[in-house]
Formats: sequence, structure tokens, C-alpha cells
Amino acid sequence: MIPLKQLFTSTLGRKYLMGASGFALVLFIVIHLLGNLTLYASSGDPINTYAAKLDGLGVGKLILEIGLALTIILHIITAVQVTLSSKGARSVGYDSPKSKGGPTKNTVTSRNMIITGFVLFVFMGIHLWQFRFGPEIEDGYTSMVSGVMVHDLYRVVVETFVQIKWVIFYVGSMFFLGFHFRHGFWSAFQSLGIMNPRWSKPIYFLGLVIAILLTVGFLFMPIYIYTTQGGVH
Amino acid sequence: MSAKTTAKHINIRLKIWRQESPKVQGNFEEFSLDQVLTSMSFLEMLDVLNEKILKSGKRPIEFESDCREGICGTCSLVVSGQAHGPVKGATTCQLYMRSFQNNELITIEPWRADAFPVVRDLVTDRRALDRIMMAGGYTGAKTGPHADANAILIPKDLAERAMDAAACIGCGACVAACPNASASLFTSAKIAQLTLLPQGHPQRKERALKMVGQMDKEGFGSCSNLQECEAACPKKISIQNIAIMKREYFKAAIAADYREGKSEGDGA
Amino acid sequence: MSIDLKSGAPDGPLKDKWDSYKANMKLVNPANKRKYNVIVVGTGLAGASAAASLAELGYNVKSFCTHDSARRAHSIAAQGGINSAKSYQNDGDSVWRLFYDTIKGGDYRSREANVYRLAQNSLGIIDQCVAQGVPFAREYSGELANRSFGGAQVSRTFYARGQTGQQLLLGAYSALMKEVEKGKVTLFPFREMLDVVMVDGKARGIITRHLHTGEIERHAADLVILCTGGYSRVYYLSTSAMNSNVTATWRAHKKGALFGNPCYVQIHPTCIPVSGSHQAKLTLMSESLRNDGRVWVPKKKENCKKDPSTIAEEDRDYFLERKYPSFGNLVPRDVASRNAKEVCDEGRGVGDSGLSVYLDFASAIKRDGESVVREKYGNLFDMYHEITNENPYKNPMRIYPAVHYTMGGLWVDYNLMTNLPGLFCAGEANFSDHGANRLGASALMQGLSDGYFVLPYTVTNYLGTHSQELLKKVETTHPEFDKAEGEVRAEINRMITVGKGGKRTPSEIHRDLGNVMWEYVGMARSEKGLKIAIQKIEELQKDFDQNMMLNDDQNLNSNLETAGRLADFLGLGALMARDALQRAESCGGHFRIESQDNGEAKRDDENYAHTSAWEYKGKSAEPVMHKEKLIFENVHPSVRSYK
Repeated sequence: MIPLKQLFTSTLGRKYLMGASGFALVLFIVIHLLGNLTLYASSGDPINTYAAKLDGLGVGKLILEIGLALTIILHIITAVQVTLSSKGARSVGYDSPKSKGGPTKNTVTSRNMIITGFVLFVFMGIHLWQFRFGPEIEDGYTSMVSGVMVHDLYRVVVETFVQIKWVIFYVGSMFFLGFHFRHGFWSAFQSLGIMNPRWSKPIYFLGLVIAILLTVGFLFMPIYIYTTQGGVH
Repeated sequence: MSAKTTAKHINIRLKIWRQESPKVQGNFEEFSLDQVLTSMSFLEMLDVLNEKILKSGKRPIEFESDCREGICGTCSLVVSGQAHGPVKGATTCQLYMRSFQNNELITIEPWRADAFPVVRDLVTDRRALDRIMMAGGYTGAKTGPHADANAILIPKDLAERAMDAAACIGCGACVAACPNASASLFTSAKIAQLTLLPQGHPQRKERALKMVGQMDKEGFGSCSNLQECEAACPKKISIQNIAIMKREYFKAAIAADYREGKSEGDGA
Repeated sequence: MSIDLKSGAPDGPLKDKWDSYKANMKLVNPANKRKYNVIVVGTGLAGASAAASLAELGYNVKSFCTHDSARRAHSIAAQGGINSAKSYQNDGDSVWRLFYDTIKGGDYRSREANVYRLAQNSLGIIDQCVAQGVPFAREYSGELANRSFGGAQVSRTFYARGQTGQQLLLGAYSALMKEVEKGKVTLFPFREMLDVVMVDGKARGIITRHLHTGEIERHAADLVILCTGGYSRVYYLSTSAMNSNVTATWRAHKKGALFGNPCYVQIHPTCIPVSGSHQAKLTLMSESLRNDGRVWVPKKKENCKKDPSTIAEEDRDYFLERKYPSFGNLVPRDVASRNAKEVCDEGRGVGDSGLSVYLDFASAIKRDGESVVREKYGNLFDMYHEITNENPYKNPMRIYPAVHYTMGGLWVDYNLMTNLPGLFCAGEANFSDHGANRLGASALMQGLSDGYFVLPYTVTNYLGTHSQELLKKVETTHPEFDKAEGEVRAEINRMITVGKGGKRTPSEIHRDLGNVMWEYVGMARSEKGLKIAIQKIEELQKDFDQNMMLNDDQNLNSNLETAGRLADFLGLGALMARDALQRAESCGGHFRIESQDNGEAKRDDENYAHTSAWEYKGKSAEPVMHKEKLIFENVHPSVRSYK
């Protein structure tokens, strides 16, 4: 058995980590989207109930959050390492490189995963600042659900998305999420060595489907709130 | 077919990388050639240019080629930004001038990767690939009597897939074309061949670990699954082999029964 | 002084000779093996397999090649396959039959004992290669597939698609790299061998030039093995690689090694025709094309430039079918090649240059449909289309013969050792085994037999026999090294000095040499033509000596490499012409127009059943020919007829 350090510092090992953390993040984002579907309800109760249930997990929630943070950090560290090692492997570049096409998956999106990733990182920071660390119960954002006072997350969301600038920012960011997924999903299978000839094309296609579903699922939400709630406030 | 012109002759302009020696700074030099026969191969065009340069008292352009039929893997030019030029599934020596247009400006560069230092002009030193092979690209069978060749039956499809991987000519176009200068396709082709064939099984763990280890040591970049390697590969070797390599490496890396180095009690 | 040429094959029945050799050979004990150093020049099938096998035995091997990697040697380009008498097909093959076919195919100009050993070794080669992971073609049963090749009546050819040479070489290369990793082989890439160093009558080292730095280096060892391939490039245009050359064996020849049968070359009929004077290399297409393609030219000269589809059936001359009704388009390589040349010489050749004949698949397409033809020959048709820009499904292919393999080479005995003690020669570089003509799929077999299964024994025997002397190591400071290096440097300096004022590039002179060789020492040779060739080569030699243009650069300089190789090709070309001149018979690839019977080659066993082995006597002196009489105890020379 080779030392784990050696395994995970090899070019292949880093991609295992990146692929595995990527899968974990896909899973998280899918659950996140499913949770967000509660926002399409006519009242804030469903989302507030859902948030309250998560809060009710207590330490469990903290562990999940720490796990998620670590996964994201791992994904970022390996991404930076992979990018740096690649830049270091060709210090003199070509005059004007050109793809030969064919089976290539070398596209603007796949080539710029580090950039789409960076945009998503910035987005995530703002997103957390707005919602995870936004106005709390103490700030008067409360709501009664089934007779219990809970944090009115719905209000936080609505207050944000009635502002056109935030709608534009979120919708724009979701395109980057889609671009990142377009290459990332298929790529994770390949990186982890679980790709095989029969499944390559279907998985590449599935990557596109998931990218579109997630992007549309997320970006429609701000638009929905803006258009349905915009006039109220 | 890849013809871009039906003319018998074309005029071309060339922008060619010149570099005196490994350590010095190189630069592009421009040439023009008139009335180039389109039935000429690309390398024959360079031969003609070199004769012209030699006669003008200057130093001809150094480039590598040998078999000129696409199998030895010696020729290695990036033509107008593409490894082995615009034709798919072909080496530079299989490129013909009819693939270019009249008055086209053609840029010629060497393979670019720090693991392939430029020796002179368009010649690079690709011994890094040899060292990867040295690390484990073999079965370990010694010369001598072996079991009869038909003693182990190998399903036809496995043999064919192994042959697909074994078709690698070691030119390094995969590295040259990869935006990350990764040698994953080259390394994986050999690992896959010897994984698919039972003869390669006794040393498969050691092979995966050592070849990947050497690949990293040589300073090649990381694979980002862009598949540019497969697009540029003159033998169209599939990145499926890279997936096999990743499986093999992972299995070997976590295997409890692999012990690096010589076994104890070997001191006869 | 005449040199006594003895094959050194053991006495006794043919089939026991090699066993008897092995039973009686001298051995070297394991502790002593590591004291011996062996130089192997060349890393093709013979060189790589020899270097790997000798290292496995425990010898310290230094392996030299001109490329960056051993894997690029020209063995890699062999397409068709490798013969073996495995007889998996149950179709009547045996070691004896492979031996017999090879001797007969070589037109009874090879040594029985060597060829028999080759056929015996063919069995182990396949097992060896499979163990190395060579992905040979297989049947659905999982067993190895075989095909009939080159007109053989049995299916004994193993293959890996159209890349058999590549796969076998990669197998040998992998074995070599395994020994490099173990430290038993040291690789010397980018090196060209420029001389053999003889110390006290034994080969003890070589002088090389590092092609990147220009450095002249000395390497000492206890013996030297040359596996440097054939000399087809003497014709300038051939199917050999650009860097294939005769330098190593020619320099050894100048040091005293005899050159055997230089005039025997093989000309392959199905190559893509020459398209212009810029061309540097010809491309071969598999012989299998003749299974379905019909060879023809117009009956009338005036039709030659016409679109072939407009030429009526009755105006076409299917000359092979006409002259050889029983074999038709499948006559052996030499016969097919010669007939193509004849019709072109009559002015009935087609294409712009008039130097090609049609290979027409129209009948096959009509009979079997285009899809069947595509399935069988799709790759070849694509390759042809890509090179010529002509679509062979619509128009007939055009083909012309090209030099493909050289049967001649350094004379070696049963040990594969030249007449210089300690200097061995294997693979295409030596003259043995194929006589005057090589059968398809036999070159790969010979290279691997020599390297895997002959040299490990004969080298050991040599070292065991001369251990007293060889254990006293020779250093590279020995005066013989000084002398050899001095000569090498002097020649390079001379070329560069002349090169400053010269007018003709090395390639131009080489192309001229090629034209002379092709014209006069090619497919049909005559006394008159050969004499003209000798004279013309003398003139080219003068051009080379006095009027060659070179750029003054001692580092990586391909022109300097070309020039050095050209010097040796010029010497060899003249020797080939002399050898062809002395051999006033037709045999195998050597066709003397004076020696024919009704248009067919006429062999003369009474006067020419010998190997000619030439001794170098200096640049301006005539070489001296020695003969090794060929004795046939087991087969009886018969006439080859394909009518």
C-alpha cells in the first residue's frame, strides 16, 4: 500500500479528490434545489418549516455544514493544484493553438472550469452572506408556523429578489453553475475511472440534462419571486 | 478527404520556430515558397525549403522524421496550432500540401511541454516518454521457453481492445495537444493494453503505480478530461484508456497486498 | 590471400545441428557474466531482442540507437506478419516445410543449417511474444489467428492488424526497457556508430557521434553486435526510413568484415508510384491487394495518358494474367516487379511519369460489391487516397515497384559472427537466411530469432571460449581508440572543409546515386549497365569528395549526417554493382538479362551456388571476392516456375 499522501498528491489522486468532492457537491445542490422548490408555494410557510427542521438538527446541522465546507475547500484546493501543475507543464505556449475537433470536449466551458469555479465561489460567498448569515429572528424576521415562532427565511428571500439587481446577479451566476456542471459531471466519472465505453456518451448527455435542469430550476426562482411578489412591496 | 485545394501548385508563407539550442531564446522566422506542388507531402515541402536554405548559405531547419508512413512516431510538428496539422488520424508525415490554401500562412512549432525540451528548432527531446515506459511498461516475461501461445485463450474483443491501445506510436501528440501538457493518454494506453491482456496481470499494481509516478515526476500536467489528446492522436486512441488507468491506479494504491521494492529473502 | 569461409555449423543431421551446438557450447558462469560488457548497435527487432536477452542473462549491455527511443527503429513499419511453423491450422505445416519454403523462396542461395535453425526458432518466437503481451489477432475461440501470406500454401502467418512489426518491436522494446530499469542495459540514444575498434584482432569497442551535440565518443566492450538494418536507401527512394543507412556495417566492412551478397535486394511490386523529384520516400501497400486487384496497362502506347475508364477491355493488357496463367496476379514479388518495369520500359506505363501500372479493383467491386472490397482493403484504399488524392473505388490504383528489403549484408557464420572475431551481426544487417529472395513475413521472424534465440547462445559461447583474453579489459585510452577516433574526426573535418566551397547538396548527390542504382542495379541488370553504373558512381564519388555543399555546424546537423551516410552508400553502391556483375546468373531478386530462359530467370547452380563475400581493400583499390560454397545435403535445388 502506498502512503495516502503519495496517493492524493499524484495527478491522478488529486482528480479522484476533485471528482469525489464534485459528486458530493452535485448531491448537495440537487437537495438544495429540491428544498428550494418550497419557494414556489403561495405562502412562506413551507420554506420556513423546512428551514426550521434543518435548524432543529442542531449539532447534526453543524456537522453537515462543516462537512460541506470541507468538501468545498477540498474541491477548490485540488482545482488550484491541478491548474498550477498544468500551467507549469508548458511554460512556452503555442502561437495560436487550435483544437482538432472530433471527439474533443475542449470547449470554452471545459477549458475554463477554474474561472467558472471562481465565479461560483464568489457567488457562494455572497449567497451565504445574504441568506445563511442574513437577517435573523433577532432582527425581527419571524413567522408563525403551526403556532410556533420560526425564522422567516421566506421574507429574507423575497426582500432580496424583489430587487432587480439581485435577480440579475443570481440568474447570471446560475449560468456559470450550468457551465461548470456541463463538463464537471461527466468529467467526475472519467476522473474516478468509472467511465466505460458504453456509458460515456449517455453520461455526457446526462451531464447536459442535469446542467440544464439545475440551471433552469435555480434561475427561475428569483424570476418567479420578482414577477409574483415584485408589485407587493 | 482533407483536400482544401484542387490547384496543382500553391504559394505559401511559413512562420517557423527557430531556436539555436535548448537554453537560448527562440523566435519565429518567416519564409515563403512559391509553386509548391500540392501532391507533395508536408515534410517534403520542408525538405525543399531546407535545400533552398542550405544553398543560400544559411543553417537549414532541423526537424525530425523517419519512416514517413505514420508509424514510427518520430515526426512531431505543430502545424498552425494543431499537433500533426489539420488532418485527423494522421501524423505530420502523412500530411499533404493539398490540405492548405493558396497564400496561406502556415505556422510551424515544436511540441510544447516542459518535459520535452527543445533541442534545436523543431526538434524536441522526448525521452520522458521512454522513462515512463521504463518504469513498468512491460510484462516482465524473460526470453526463454514459455507456455504455448494458445495456452491462455483471450476473448477476441479483449484482444482487439488491447490492440487499439497498443497502436500508440509514442509520438507525444497527446501531450502536445493537451492544454495541460498531460501525458495521460500515452501512459494509459500501455497500462490499458497490459490490463486487458492476462499476460500483464502479475505486475499490474506495480505497473500502474510506477508508471503514473514517473509520469508525474517528469513534470507533465494533469488530465482535465478535455479529450484533446484523442482528437490529436494519429492512431485515434481513446480516453477510455485513461479511465482504465485511473481504476488501475486507484486499486493499486489502496491494495493492501502490494509491497514496493524487492521481496525479503531474495538475497541469493 | 584467400579467407577460408566456414559456416561453423556443427556436423550431424540437419535437425540436430542446433541442439548439438547448444549441447556442446562453452558456458559462462553467472558470477563471470556480470564482468562482461556487450555493445549492441541498433534497436530494431534484432537489436532490441538481443540487448534484452543478453542483459537478462547477466551481461552488461550498452544499447545504441540514432533515435530518442529504441521504439522508433524501422522494424516498426513492417505490416504483414510473422511466420511460424506452429501449425495451429492443422494444414500440413511443419518446421521442415517452413525451412523448405524459405530455402526455395531464397532460390537456393542460403545456408541450410541457418535456415533450419530459423524455422525451429520460429516456434518459440510466438510464445515469447504472447508472453510479452503482443496483441496478436485472435479468433472468436480466443485462439491465435493465422493467414496465408505471400503465396504460401499454408496459413502460418501471425499478425497484429497491419502493424505486426510495430507490435513485435514494442514487445522487444518493452523487454529492453525492463532491463534498462534494472540497470543491466544502458541506453545511448541519439548516437550514430562511426567505427568499430579492433584490439589485438578482436572487436572491442565502437566510436560514435552524438547527433545532438556532435560529440565523438569512445565505448569499450568485450564484443560488438551490429543490428543496424538494411541498405535500401542506397537507392535513395525506397520504403526504408529516412534515417536507415549502411554506415555501421559499411564501416565494419572497411575494418575488414566481409560483405555478403550485396547485390541481393528485394523489390516490392505494390508501392505507391513516385510523384515527383522532391520525393524522399516511397510507401508500400500490402501485397494482399493483388488477391483481388488485376494488374494491367494499355495495349497501345497512345492510350497511356487517357482516362482508364475510357479504355476498352480489349485494349487492355492484363500482362501478369496473360504471361502466368496459373498464378496470374499472384506471382512472386520479383516476377511481378520485373514485369511492371518491362511494360513501362516499353512505353506503356501510365500516370504523369509513365512509371506506373494499374491495379484495378473494378472486377472485384462488380463481383463482390464495394462494401466487401471496403471491408477487406478499406484502410489501404484510404491511405492510397490520402497520398495520391485519387479515389481507388472509382479509378484503378496506380502502383510501381520499390526497393523494400536487402537480403545481402555482412557475412556471418553459424554463430552470426562476422569474420572479425567478436563482431557479430544480426537481423537484416547480415546476409544470412534469405538467400537471393526473402519470403513475406520472414524478416520479422529472422530478426527475433537472431536476437532472442541465437545470439544469447553464440555470444556466450564466444565469451566462454575467449574468457582468458576478454576478462583483461580494454580501456578507451587504448591507442586503437585514438586511431579510430582520429580517423572519424578527420573524415568529418574533411567533409566540412569541402562543404564550404561545394556546390551540390548531399541530398542531390544521393538522389543521383539512387537514380544510377535504380537504373542499372535495379530490377534488371546487364553487364553493360553494371559497368556504366560503376563508372557513374565513380563520378558521383568525385562530386562527393570535391564538390559537396555542407553547412558548417558540428551540433545537430542533419545534412552532416546525410553526408556521412552518403559516403558509405557510394562505396556500397559500387560494390553492389561489382557483385551483380560477377554473378552472371539470375536468381531471386537478382535478374541478369543475359541469363534467362524464355523470359524467365535462369539460375546457374554449376557456377554460382555460392555466397560472395567481399573484402575491402582500400578506397581506390578493387575489392576482393571470397566464396562460401553452398552445399545442399537435404534439399535439391529446383527451378522456380510460375507459368
